[in-house]
Amino acid sequence: MLGRRGSLWFLAVPPYLWLIALFLMPLGVVAAISLLPGSGRIDFSGGWPSLNQYQQVLETPAYLRRLGISVGMAFVIAASATILAYPIAYFLAFRARQRATIFLVLLLVPFASSYLLRVMAWKLLLGREGAINWVLTSVGLVKEPVGLLVYSQAAVVITLVYVWIPFAALPIYAALQRVDRSHLEAAADLGAGPWTRFGRITIPLSLPGVLATFFMVFIPTVGEYVTPSLVGGIDGLMYGNLIQDFFTRAGNWPLGSAMAVLMLLAVLILVTLALRLVDLRRVAP
Amino acid sequence: MPARIPHVPAWFIAFASAALVLAACQNQGGTSGSPGASAPASAGATESAAANEPNELTVLEWSGYEAPDFWTDFKTASPDTAVDFEFGISDADILSLMEGGSAADIFHFYTGWQQFYVDEGLVQEIDTSKLTNWDKVPDAFKAMGQVNGKQYYLPWDWGFTSILYNTSKVSGTIDTWNALFNQSYAGHISMWDDGPAAVTVSSYIHNYDETKITADQLAAIEAEWKLQKPLNLHYWTGEYTDFCPEVQSGDIWVAYAWQGCYATVLYDQSQPVAYANPKEGRNSWVGLYGISANTESYDLALKFLDAKLAALTCGNAVTLFYYGCANQEVMNAIEDPVLIQAFGIDDPSILESTNFTPPVTQKQRDDWTAMWARVKAE
Repeated sequence: MLGRRGSLWFLAVPPYLWLIALFLMPLGVVAAISLLPGSGRIDFSGGWPSLNQYQQVLETPAYLRRLGISVGMAFVIAASATILAYPIAYFLAFRARQRATIFLVLLLVPFASSYLLRVMAWKLLLGREGAINWVLTSVGLVKEPVGLLVYSQAAVVITLVYVWIPFAALPIYAALQRVDRSHLEAAADLGAGPWTRFGRITIPLSLPGVLATFFMVFIPTVGEYVTPSLVGGIDGLMYGNLIQDFFTRAGNWPLGSAMAVLMLLAVLILVTLALRLVDLRRVAP
Repeated sequence: MPARIPHVPAWFIAFASAALVLAACQNQGGTSGSPGASAPASAGATESAAANEPNELTVLEWSGYEAPDFWTDFKTASPDTAVDFEFGISDADILSLMEGGSAADIFHFYTGWQQFYVDEGLVQEIDTSKLTNWDKVPDAFKAMGQVNGKQYYLPWDWGFTSILYNTSKVSGTIDTWNALFNQSYAGHISMWDDGPAAVTVSSYIHNYDETKITADQLAAIEAEWKLQKPLNLHYWTGEYTDFCPEVQSGDIWVAYAWQGCYATVLYDQSQPVAYANPKEGRNSWVGLYGISANTESYDLALKFLDAKLAALTCGNAVTLFYYGCANQEVMNAIEDPVLIQAFGIDDPSILESTNFTPPVTQKQRDDWTAMWARVKAE
């Protein structure tokens, strides 16, 4: 009825509208608020646009340092989640066979529970009275409970890696499923051992999925604030916590918006640089 | 040949976006009303006005206060009135919601923020002549709800802020706010995650005028809290989520605290604790209710607030949340020894030396919260 072109057009419009209405427009509003000269009630009638807020952020070394720390933590979390998710995805793609669906469902079961509950569970596990400390003290590895497990940067990293692994496994699984098994058979016929086939064929062909996973975890983690506020203590604070504070505690939306826009620009620059450095056409045949 | 994503004309995107936004805006209707309107004067006019009011209320509240225990008298007296709740997570959030056009008829916030709502025309005067429980509220609490001599707010819940400490981990008695800076308790201190609170504590210690903090004083305050930062286990945000459990487990030995957790631990006896009477004086805060300037249910809102001061509702705030309530008859009737200890009822000198949270200005709020953000980001 619509024809091929019409059908494609019809299918493409809703996601465009969704992106515009629920992503670009809110982003535009945040950017507009960030250009307000002062705090208080949002009022564009006087002194707009102004770079006051950006000046305040850029002149505060502590904010920029915390952004740098957040980027570093996000890198570690993304890399760890990707590395730990790869074996899971490999198992699903190459070993699970008819049971792949069951294992996939099991992998996704944690999503049925609240994100906050999963984070709070880690707080119980990592706490001084938690299960990990109980094991450590019971076995005699430590005399006193280890306080550093919770309310620390390490606790934030551990918790976020745990939260992200199921998500991270899916794009890698999708990439591994697309690996043509005949390449592996041909390599085997030519005398390549399993590790050689894995290193020379499987990994390169799965790299697009691996990189997609890495960025899928890295980008939102830079602005993370929920997990740091629950288990981060004073050292595990991330840049997102500062943004949250300016919005919800200080009522200073312009400054919070400027910090958010700067974070977005920083992430865009980093991702662009990374994509230029890692040329997929060279690493993935 | 792979299919190409069709090019969507820009005019269509703009038209569709505008249509979406307009459709969303059409359903947002605030109630009409003049900001900063005074309470109606005549009872006769009010009764006919009440009959025309919608039989529903929306209350902008803090999570937990929506429980029926905290409005039980109104629920009993007006069982057919639909009461809906919206939630804010902080005083700044609640102000933002009201500024953003919340349809709430009543909102709840804490001392320090009174002036903002009046300045922005978000609140209207309370006709106290219609409150049957108003005479049970002490004058000092009534004064908390006044701005420019007018009664804009109804005081309801209140409490102390002081140092809560574990007597088995702390030697001697703590009698100064300086205990939060004591290296002996490193790793076992917890400060509330709030910039103005940090300024308040430093003001008490150094005898600054909290309402006139200078730039040099603020710089000194920032420096000392940066030095204090490593002594903390964490900055707590939720009294019963990440603070009281840590006190009960013995991880926190010394903390900036409200008396709610003090009473909780006294009841469950998980740890031996005491609540300091600092020589600089305790702090006290009061929860206030305001009626939106845009409400269509003014008289219903008055009934709701009057019922908040009733014995059962007020009593529930004391016995279930361990917060004080502005109905002095309820406070005088407390016989539970734990609550008597928690509120210091047997020591009248405590209130005499207590410092009540003063209102803050916009600039102070900005400067103090930015200071705290720099401390946390360090």
